[in-house]
Amino acid sequence: MSDISRVIAMINLLEEDGIIERYAIGGAVGATFYIEPVATLDVDVFVVFRAEADRHLLSLRPIFDYLTARGGVLEGEYVVIAGWPVQFLPPISPLVEEALADAATVSVEEMPARVFTAEHLAAVALQTGRPKDKARLLQFIESGALKMESFRSILARHGLSDRWREFERTFLSGAQ
Amino acid sequence: MTFDLKRMLESKSALRQKLAKRPLAEKLAMLDTLRERALAIREAVEFTRPSAARETPAKYQAEREKE
Repeated sequence: MSDISRVIAMINLLEEDGIIERYAIGGAVGATFYIEPVATLDVDVFVVFRAEADRHLLSLRPIFDYLTARGGVLEGEYVVIAGWPVQFLPPISPLVEEALADAATVSVEEMPARVFTAEHLAAVALQTGRPKDKARLLQFIESGALKMESFRSILARHGLSDRWREFERTFLSGAQ
Repeated sequence: MTFDLKRMLESKSALRQKLAKRPLAEKLAMLDTLRERALAIREAVEFTRPSAARETPAKYQAEREKE
């Protein structure tokens, strides 16, 4: 079993034991489910926190406590699991909320792994807009991994159509 | 081997498509390897960065003592 699979197994336990309500893998690790492996130094895990009536502030403490009790090591905002720094991120925008809700369950070495759809990963990359996100978006397009109708519909719902047109003009006009 | 840019790009694209189609478990295992390489490169870059604090190399230390 790869180290990254061990990370997925541990995140599944977090959900099974009710520490989080739902998770989905995003970022470069998520992209690797659809395109060629994308080099990265960490794992981005988006989480829906378990609702508690008496608590209004979101806290990562229950996640950190659970994981450190099982061998995880805290390093800044990361928990290191099986050698991988893992960052737990709340849904920071309506787009990410939707990505979490629509995430796909994929089997990895006979265990489930929940991951953003290719279209949501690409839309989040467009929204985030760093050079590496633009490069990843190009990889998605080149590989033909996107259902373009679904992708465009996500962009329209989240006000990203203009940004997409600009991206097309800059990087895709004249591309074969 | 060719220096025809068009063919080189096509070949790169084909390799990427081939990698994308590998079994998922294999691709995830590749991430482990890629991360190790990325960390090794990062450490090497940090070491060679001019601003990095570093001891005076022995040779230069000896030269100074002669002066």
